[in-house]
Amino acid sequence: MIRAVIAKDVGLLLRDRGALLSLFALPLVFILVFGSIFQEGPDRNEARPVAIWFAAGDARGAAIAGALAAAPGFAARTAGSPEEVRQLVATDAVAAGLVIDPDRDAAIELVIDLAAPLQARGPLEGALTAVVLRALVPAALRIEARSPPGRGPPRAQASAFQIAVPANAVLFGFFLALTVATSLGSERRTGVWRRLLAAPVLRGRVLVASLVPYFLIGIVQLGFLFGTGVLVFGMEVAGSVSALVAVSLALVYCAVSLGLLFASIGGSERQLGAFGSVVLLVMGILGGCMVPRALMPAEMQAIGLAVPHGWALDGYYDVLVRTGTGIAEVVPAVGALVGFGTVFAMFGVAWFRFEE
Amino acid sequence: MIRSSQPGVRLRGLGKDYGARTAVGSIDLDVERGECFALLGPNGAGKTTTISMLAGVVTPTRGWIEICGIELGSDPYAAKVKVGLVPQEIALYEELSALQNLRYFGALYGLRGATLAERIDQSLEVVGLRDRTREQVKTYSGGMKRRLNIAAGLLHRPQVLILDEPTVGVDPQSRNQIFSTVRALRDAGTTIVYSTHYMEEAEALCDRVAIMDAGKVIASGTVPELVAAHTRDEVIIELGGDPAAVAEASRAACAGGATLHGGSLLHIGPSSRGLGSVIGGIEQCGAVVVRIASHQATLENAFLALTGRALRDEP
Repeated sequence: MIRAVIAKDVGLLLRDRGALLSLFALPLVFILVFGSIFQEGPDRNEARPVAIWFAAGDARGAAIAGALAAAPGFAARTAGSPEEVRQLVATDAVAAGLVIDPDRDAAIELVIDLAAPLQARGPLEGALTAVVLRALVPAALRIEARSPPGRGPPRAQASAFQIAVPANAVLFGFFLALTVATSLGSERRTGVWRRLLAAPVLRGRVLVASLVPYFLIGIVQLGFLFGTGVLVFGMEVAGSVSALVAVSLALVYCAVSLGLLFASIGGSERQLGAFGSVVLLVMGILGGCMVPRALMPAEMQAIGLAVPHGWALDGYYDVLVRTGTGIAEVVPAVGALVGFGTVFAMFGVAWFRFEE
Repeated sequence: MIRSSQPGVRLRGLGKDYGARTAVGSIDLDVERGECFALLGPNGAGKTTTISMLAGVVTPTRGWIEICGIELGSDPYAAKVKVGLVPQEIALYEELSALQNLRYFGALYGLRGATLAERIDQSLEVVGLRDRTREQVKTYSGGMKRRLNIAAGLLHRPQVLILDEPTVGVDPQSRNQIFSTVRALRDAGTTIVYSTHYMEEAEALCDRVAIMDAGKVIASGTVPELVAAHTRDEVIIELGGDPAAVAEASRAACAGGATLHGGSLLHIGPSSRGLGSVIGGIEQCGAVVVRIASHQATLENAFLALTGRALRDEP
């Protein structure tokens, strides 16, 4: 029976352009757009232009200019006057500027757009401050960054696709729940569900058999998205592939269970589509699919773990970015996803109305 | 436990409540093997709920069901194998082809391989639908979809076939095709339970009829039995002659249960005195019978007499 159900549902999926679009094409477009934007954007390992002015013969200014020129993240540009530095920043010709007053007791002026978002301004401001400090304080005070125990360092700087691929895989992977719910809704509307219940098969088996194909479709979807990420976009997998598979299986289980829960709530396919889309988008936003949770306030970061999306993204981040990540390291993420999925499934089964 | 002499379908005290609402009260029915039995009633009468319980789709609140001697509640697997359900809706996947649909529904009954292919072929033959089987169902006409809907219920060769309003929305040609299919299945020994709110279908196809209304079976029997028991032929008499005599004759006839229309037309219905008595009264008053027209009583009249409303009325 399971084989027949799989053949039927795969046949239906292949003819459903809307479902194919939302499960495969749309996430790919989002990955391509977001990945390309940030791959080519200011956060890539390209030096950011910074203007500097200091008076001729000023030793402090020369030291800072030397440190700035040596810093890998910046391209120093010496200006002819303090006013030129300010104009260069005002016209966005440079990202920021430093004006070194020849008076050693005077403050060093950091010219930067204070109205820019903190997420954009903060790192630049902090980095330039560090460059200035590094030029002025003794070498003994220098700081070296290291990952804590249990947190493997990245193989290289995390690429934009290491963020964009899992974010969209999780966001659109959970949209599988909508496909599950509307499919069950359609079977009820068309009377097919009555035909299934009339067959000499246990009701629970009918329900499980209806869900199995979507589990397989979900695995194919994630395989397609991560495979494309690796082969087409050059996304690296720093951890083990088995850990990647474990997180993916748990995610698909959770998404299919959520679909069952949606279906048990009932309503027309249109109602399910509207309600489910909103719920899934909100969950995706809270979980960090749109904006990484690391950039959110602490409270929002905690709230992000109240939805499975947050755990799935944490798991994927560890697998894709941190070297040495294996099954053991993703146990919390997998456990949370399986836990969410089991709760969804329990409520879904309890509320599912076979005889509606 | 199978008792070979048992009816195809036996219902005892069967009922279904949805919360405080009773959809079906308490039904007792026997449908003999090889019989075509109609459940006739308006929308909301409880036909579909009864059929759903019979097919094992809905769990009864009370009572029990036997299919060919097997109690559905105690051995649902064995009972369901003997039942084929043709739902009221076009219960098919419109995006799939007829063949893909039938393969899937056949697999639900454990059919596979050559047996499944053979059954699909036979079912399509029975409903006269062997062309375009590889095309998507959504390209079919309404009648073709209805026939394919029936074919999907025949794949496992059920001993009891339940058809729930199988001709809703089909053209006359397809309706005739469906009628032929039902007759052929009945002639082949299949027990048929046929739900409809079309009076003429019950009269044309079924050996016996149960009239349902408000969740109850209010009468059952053959069509002639129901008509004879609950109605009789109607007669219209046109009166002529002296107006005073016509008026007196009309008064006398109406006192006996007839009704007067347009001043000179007497309607002699089921509750009126006999025709001979009415005509005798007319002649006694000096009036003249200009014309007599008779209308044969039908199941529709019986339904009207039993429920007080026409079958097509909404409940």
